[in-house]
Amino acid sequence: MNHGPVHPGEPPIINNADEPDRRGVLKFFSIVLGGIAAAAAGVPVLGYFFGPVTRMLRDKWVDIGAIDEFPTGQTRIVDFENPVRRPWDGVSGKSAAYVRRTGPGEFKVFAINCTHLGCPVSWFPQSGLFLCPCHGGVYYADGERASGPPPRGLYEYAARIEKGRLQILTGHLPTLNDPPSIATEKRA
Amino acid sequence: MNRIARQIGGWFEARLGIAQALRPILGHRTPRGAKWWYVFGSATLTLFLIQVVTGILLAMVYVPSGDQAYESLQYLNYTQELGWFLRALHNTAASGMVVMLVIHMTQVFLMGAFKYPRELTWLFGVGLLAITMGMAFTGQVLRWDQDAYWGVGVGSAMAGRLPIIGPYMVRLICSGPTIGGETLSRFFALHVFVLPGTLILLVVGHLYLVLRLGISSPPVAGKPVDPKTYDAEYERELANGVTFYPNPIRRDMIFSALTVIVIVALAAMIGPMGPGEPPDPTIIKSDPRPDWEFLPLFGLLALSPAPLEPVAIFGVPAIIGLVLILIPFVGSKGERSPRRRPVAVLSVILFFTTAGVLGWLGHTSPWSPVMDAWSGLPVPERMVKNLRPLELQGAAVFQVKTCRNCHALDGIGGERGPDLTKVATKLTHDELIRQVIQGGGLMPAFGSRLSPAEIDAMVAFLETLRPPGEPPARSAVTARR
Amino acid sequence: MSQCVRFITRCMALPLACVISSGCDRPDPANRPLRPSEVLDFGVLYAQNCSGCHGADGKLGPAPPLNDSLFLAMASDADLQRVIAEGRPGTPMSAFARSAGGGLTPQQVTAIVSGMRSKWSAATTRPAAPLSPYLTQVGHGTATAGAAVFSRNCAICHGANGEGASKAGAVNSPAFLALITDQALRRIVITGRPDLGMPDYQHAADGAARPTPLNEQEISDVVALLASWRQTAAQQSGQVAQAAGASR
Repeated sequence: MNHGPVHPGEPPIINNADEPDRRGVLKFFSIVLGGIAAAAAGVPVLGYFFGPVTRMLRDKWVDIGAIDEFPTGQTRIVDFENPVRRPWDGVSGKSAAYVRRTGPGEFKVFAINCTHLGCPVSWFPQSGLFLCPCHGGVYYADGERASGPPPRGLYEYAARIEKGRLQILTGHLPTLNDPPSIATEKRA
Repeated sequence: MNRIARQIGGWFEARLGIAQALRPILGHRTPRGAKWWYVFGSATLTLFLIQVVTGILLAMVYVPSGDQAYESLQYLNYTQELGWFLRALHNTAASGMVVMLVIHMTQVFLMGAFKYPRELTWLFGVGLLAITMGMAFTGQVLRWDQDAYWGVGVGSAMAGRLPIIGPYMVRLICSGPTIGGETLSRFFALHVFVLPGTLILLVVGHLYLVLRLGISSPPVAGKPVDPKTYDAEYERELANGVTFYPNPIRRDMIFSALTVIVIVALAAMIGPMGPGEPPDPTIIKSDPRPDWEFLPLFGLLALSPAPLEPVAIFGVPAIIGLVLILIPFVGSKGERSPRRRPVAVLSVILFFTTAGVLGWLGHTSPWSPVMDAWSGLPVPERMVKNLRPLELQGAAVFQVKTCRNCHALDGIGGERGPDLTKVATKLTHDELIRQVIQGGGLMPAFGSRLSPAEIDAMVAFLETLRPPGEPPARSAVTARR
Repeated sequence: MSQCVRFITRCMALPLACVISSGCDRPDPANRPLRPSEVLDFGVLYAQNCSGCHGADGKLGPAPPLNDSLFLAMASDADLQRVIAEGRPGTPMSAFARSAGGGLTPQQVTAIVSGMRSKWSAATTRPAAPLSPYLTQVGHGTATAGAAVFSRNCAICHGANGEGASKAGAVNSPAFLALITDQALRRIVITGRPDLGMPDYQHAADGAARPTPLNEQEISDVVALLASWRQTAAQQSGQVAQAAGASR
């Protein structure tokens, strides 16, 4: 150890001669300023992180095609661009829905997401059933639950006809406690 | 020459003090008899180091953006020099890490090594397990294909079932109202910054505790842990023990090396995983499956009855976590040897059997309809050969009405409903008609979906389904006597 | 000890050799996953969409065989494309085009048609006699003439009144006739079901070539006969339904 560098060793214990009130002031400021600094930096950080939660976007009406594209009594799948998509979403910004035309001006539009755990259901026109590939949920053509684990029928989008084109109110992933929005505005 | 090297080494050592810092680690005493049981923790750490290196390398090429991620994975697979191998290694070593971690925890649990004074060491380990599973899930999302997309979808749907906060959880998981580019970016940040950072902190804490408290000596039946006497007893065992260097550390190194060799070989043989089809929700022909780590949960969710589903989704993971946290506190004293802890041994067996069965069911998923069975699985030729015109039409109706998606013929087809190869020996004409029209059990009613002629034809076909020797089913009244 | 070392080096050599020789599972760009709509390979398309009813090799399925050179010679590309795309209403054959609610793009329908032709058309079995047209001409045949043709040519297997016999099943069953169109009947009368032992229009029940193949008129007449059975059955069941309704 003779040639080694000087070890700092234990720092000498300096008998703190500061007056008690100065110590109190330092303690007070270190805590208060530290708290303010943490809040100043932390609030925006948390606000940013929870931005997707606090920024509740309202669903929008999306055009999904001319009504003539949908034969009465049949169910067709339509693709559309998600209204909340980002420019860099790529194909993941697309979305799809099942359109069932029940009458000349009557449409039922179902989300593709199974109400069990959200997997995409497939429509089988031959048997008139929607089948889910994940856990075997089955729905009838009118969206009602037929069998399997789903707790309810298929999610249905609010639909309206504008100048011969079908529109649906969409913009968020439908889940059990947050199904598609109900149309509140009056039809124009 | 040697002298110069030693002088240079000494110069650095005088300033850095590395050898001085390492000496107590390498020289610390460990109890005798640990042998090969204690190598799994270091193997887990070794695999984690592989993950760090391969992860950094993959991040040099991978583009974490919604529209380019899939392309960049294709580039890694097919164009980038050895990109496919790095992807394969990252995936295989990830699986290996989970396996080693689970083995390590099981060994620690069975040998009672979590007992006094190592409760916190165990808790750090539980945290590491949680983070590692988090890495597995987020990593699966970075694969940004159909499975990734619907994996996030299923995760969101599960979280979305929570009362009140459910919808907010969905938005937090998806980083917005739907799955998209922001979802991927956030999972990327979690996978490469947040979770590995936390993991490293926990590893440091875990290792610090391992060094501070020492590793436990192999359990001896009839020698229970008593916090009052344990410390003195352990001191005696250490005095009689061996230093970490050379033998224990050599065992760790050999086992880690063998693990790495096996993982590298497996990676080369199995190749990279995916990506599958692009993450496009308009591709309805999709059959999403989670990676193997989550198959038991996938199976559990399919099998739990609807009222119990929230329990399966939130209860089971919470209970597993809670049990793991409570283990060292409930069992901090007493016998360590598995021979004297039958409940511990049985619960390990029960846990692995359950997870194994659920995982296997999740893998085969007999509850899932085979989505293109109706058009893609031929009616067995031996059945077709003897059919008469009406029965032929009936067989075609059977296929077209998607019956095959849930019902197998000759073992091929869906397994959600019973195999119908011998159905005519079990159900009579009338019973067949009733089952088709009314459904029952898991089967939807087909009465309104079939014309009378279609029912006649299909039942005529089903009535042919019995082995030549066996008689057809007799009417319900006589058969049930 | 040296054995151990040798073992370890051998273990190490395996993955290294594997990586270097690329004899391992390096992904092949040819196996790149395709969107379902991008698949144009006939084998894949046929297996996924057609084999369920038409059989793995285009025969021995419940639906009429497609692996039948006579049928392929008779039906035009346009016929085949239309049937695949729009289905055959009145039979189990459903519509497969996206525009009709199925899953196939127009390119995929075309790929299936050309695949069927290149795989299953055989120039050698082209019939000597000029082929009957594939499509039914409505009102072309008469049931009375058809009865004579039936008893001469079909009754030997299907029974005098189409009620079925030991060799072949009934063709007069109302349910059967309700699930098959005249066009499909015509096709079966012409091509037979070679995979199930039913002869085509040029061959007799024993498989020997007929001295004179069934001609266009005879084929239409038999179809007219079967159609008349269907009509009778429908009327009867209508009467039954009415009677059931009245009795309530």
